[in-house]
Amino acid sequence: MKIVIVGNGKVGYTLAQQLVREEHDIVVVDTDESALRRASDALDVMGVRGNGVSASTLRDAGADEADLLISATDSDEVNMICCLTAKNLGTKYTIARIRNPEYANGVNDLRRILGIDMIINPENATAVEISRLLRFPSAANIETFCRGRVELMGFRLLAEDFLVGKPLRNLSSQVKKLSLLFCAVERDSDVIIPNGAFVPQAGDKLYLIGRPTSLDQFFHTLGRYTPSVKNVFIVGGGKISLYLAAILDKMKIKVKLVERNLERCRFISEELPHTTVLCGDGTDQEFLESERLPESDAFVALTDRDEDNLIISLYAMQQGLPKVIAKCNRQNYTSIARAIGLDSVISPKLITAQHILQVVRGMQNSQGSVMNALYRIADGAAEAMEFTVSPSTNYLGVSLRDLRLKPGILISVIVRGNQIIIPEGSTSLQANDNVIIISRNSGVLDLNDIYQSADAYNRSDLTEEAGGAQ
Amino acid sequence: MNLKLVLRVVSRVMVLEAIAILLPMLVALLYRESPIPFALSSALLLVVGLLLARIPSKKHFYTREGFFSVGLIWLLTGIAGALPFYFSGEFASFVDCMFESYSGFTTTGASILTTIETHSKGILFWRSFTHWMGGMGVLVLVTAIVPSMGIRSHYLTQAETPGPVFSKLVPKQAQTSKILYQIYCVLTLAEVACLKLAGMPLYDAFIHSFSSAGTGGFSNRNISVGAYNSAAIELIITVFILLFSLNFALYFLLLTRRFREVLESDELRFFLGVVAVSTLLIAVNILPMYETIWQSLRYAVFQVASIISTTGFSSTDFALWPQFSQAILILLMFFGACAGSTGGGIKSSRILILLRSIRRELHRISHPNSVEVIKLDGKVLEEDTVRSVLSFVGCYMLILFLATLVISLDNFSFTVSFSSALTCLSNVGPGLEAVGPMGNFSAFSPLSKLVMSACMVIGRLEIMPILILFSPLAWKKV
Repeated sequence: MKIVIVGNGKVGYTLAQQLVREEHDIVVVDTDESALRRASDALDVMGVRGNGVSASTLRDAGADEADLLISATDSDEVNMICCLTAKNLGTKYTIARIRNPEYANGVNDLRRILGIDMIINPENATAVEISRLLRFPSAANIETFCRGRVELMGFRLLAEDFLVGKPLRNLSSQVKKLSLLFCAVERDSDVIIPNGAFVPQAGDKLYLIGRPTSLDQFFHTLGRYTPSVKNVFIVGGGKISLYLAAILDKMKIKVKLVERNLERCRFISEELPHTTVLCGDGTDQEFLESERLPESDAFVALTDRDEDNLIISLYAMQQGLPKVIAKCNRQNYTSIARAIGLDSVISPKLITAQHILQVVRGMQNSQGSVMNALYRIADGAAEAMEFTVSPSTNYLGVSLRDLRLKPGILISVIVRGNQIIIPEGSTSLQANDNVIIISRNSGVLDLNDIYQSADAYNRSDLTEEAGGAQ
Repeated sequence: MNLKLVLRVVSRVMVLEAIAILLPMLVALLYRESPIPFALSSALLLVVGLLLARIPSKKHFYTREGFFSVGLIWLLTGIAGALPFYFSGEFASFVDCMFESYSGFTTTGASILTTIETHSKGILFWRSFTHWMGGMGVLVLVTAIVPSMGIRSHYLTQAETPGPVFSKLVPKQAQTSKILYQIYCVLTLAEVACLKLAGMPLYDAFIHSFSSAGTGGFSNRNISVGAYNSAAIELIITVFILLFSLNFALYFLLLTRRFREVLESDELRFFLGVVAVSTLLIAVNILPMYETIWQSLRYAVFQVASIISTTGFSSTDFALWPQFSQAILILLMFFGACAGSTGGGIKSSRILILLRSIRRELHRISHPNSVEVIKLDGKVLEEDTVRSVLSFVGCYMLILFLATLVISLDNFSFTVSFSSALTCLSNVGPGLEAVGPMGNFSAFSPLSKLVMSACMVIGRLEIMPILILFSPLAWKKV
């Protein structure tokens, strides 16, 4: 697909990086020559210098025949005009990043009037993601499929967990009864799709997929169930904090928010009457202690400095808080944070990129099976995708044990009507099923992409067992 | 420096060259000549290439590796291209073979052969074919046909594509390379057809088309294009070498129907202006030597096109022309073709930027507080680009004088030493006096030949990739 990305900031670059890997033709537009050079030096993209609001710049970038234009400059207004202009030039689909909370209420009107196909608000998306983590604190991260009927969550295995050191097929019947599946394991920055013989080790990050109640029960069995969060401590009073506090307020969760700037504090207090707003230095440990940080159920670090967020999160973990979430935009810090046990690290830029990527993927297979959702797990090393099976999908009705799937592909859950099926060897796909596929190699765009090609079908036995014998 | 990965890239080029050598082998077979020199070289390159391909390496490819591999590949390509010459036994020494091969790949067209007609058809075909490959670039070809090497391939093509600013035609590098080669192939075949129609034998038509496509200048006749003494052939070649010395991005703009942008190209207008003015000046200057104005125009335009495009064909012995005309030709050797073409020299766009920045300096003297940006094609140039153009021209002059110094050891006249250094650095081919269009480079010492070969590669790659190869900084681990 021909894709134009306007604004080569954090989000623009991350998107370009990912989309180039998926073999799209990317043109990056930016006013800053050095930002363009950074993109065209590192990635196989073309740079066009100029302002995205100008029609001639957009035409230079090929917006007149582009399939998609993503405007992610730091100005909401530029993004809107840019999408408007591009749409008039002939771009088929436009995505604008609009982050100013003042626009948030009228977003749907804006979309309609300006003809923007999708509006993404990174701060709001991040706040939603955090609120999801707070709703289910046992997991380090959590994704939902089929309107919440299936959840995928990752959690880090500790040395004392009963799973450690035993092959998955030897698990007690109590666990086997639950409708869930171990669908991926992250070990030393490598992703494994486990089968029955897989032996989990301490330090592995396991990804579980299944019915939310089953996942709940599993965590009970594991002795890791964290009661739901009643009060949250937020450091940093930026846009994300504002959105988050508003969401948490609706969930009847008490919020304490620390912000350094008095003016900002007054503003937040005006916007969020139910939130306790504290004016002070969020990195000052004495201050945090005096505000009873250790008694909170969860801690969220949302200052604008990655380093501060990580350090105070570590402090909160040390204080024994059951759930600690840190915002960190720089990806290389994430692995360091993980090494010291901080698992819930979220990055607004990755969340935004993921939302947009999902749209791009969805656009690609407009014919064939429809991709409903896409999540990148294990730092992007694997993907979880939800498809609706269409009558044109190959090998319908063939039982899974007879299918030859590409290596690194797992059919993890089938949702048929009201049933949630964890597939076994005898299960088969049927039209109108929703299936959730775990894939180690990006590039699955259609459900038919998971099968090995016909000639490989005959000679290869390398395929991993679909469903697993857990 | 990730030498292992660089060697992997080298291996691809070696394999590609092994395949390319099969083409002159076919020609040799067609003319019932011995295919042994080609088969031997091809096999040798294939073995080396496949051995190098087995080296495992980590992905770690940045600007430094990019420039480094381009330099290394060009040095090795020249040596590899010398193999068929060497195995044919038609050359006096390996240094001669290397000179001829570098002259071919860098599209210089300077030759050490004294009697060209006596050589086998296969060897002469390979000589011209190296022009064709080197013209658009060996690495551009690699990126066009070898599926992604898993490295940032634009570093490779960037170093090989001449000009002050590098830009792609389409977002994907591989696609850009493909489009460039498609345009290149179509133009080359068009020239073959035209020359054949104008009465040139098919073999000669191919040789001259390859040479003019790469703006090289190897001919299979001792007195070059003059041997045919046909105005039609000269006209066809004039038109095509001018076409090949334009920026190929312009053809892409034409294909995508962006005519306005083509017309607005400063470089195009400047280049054509220089061609027109020099043609007129020379035509008037040499008028006393020829019977009619048409004849003097015919020789003048051919020679101007041949020199400014850095091809180096000749239709007459311009070393016999008046000094003024020769001086213009020397100036044109500096100028060279357009950026993004197959030609050499400093490049018209650089000269244009140079002139504009000189004008700005003058302006600044009368208005010390003035702020002025330099534009090209209506777009503002970064100060970095302007600076790099100035230092490029400086480097060019420095290398030119250093090379002249070394060549002077052979004790030829200053004109010979200087013009041979310039003609090699600008990838033109013929110089003046003893190295003029009717002369050749066989009389120089091996040292001079090596220095000239180095000049050719430095000129073709626009200095930096070769300098970095010999810079201790590039070899350091950190």
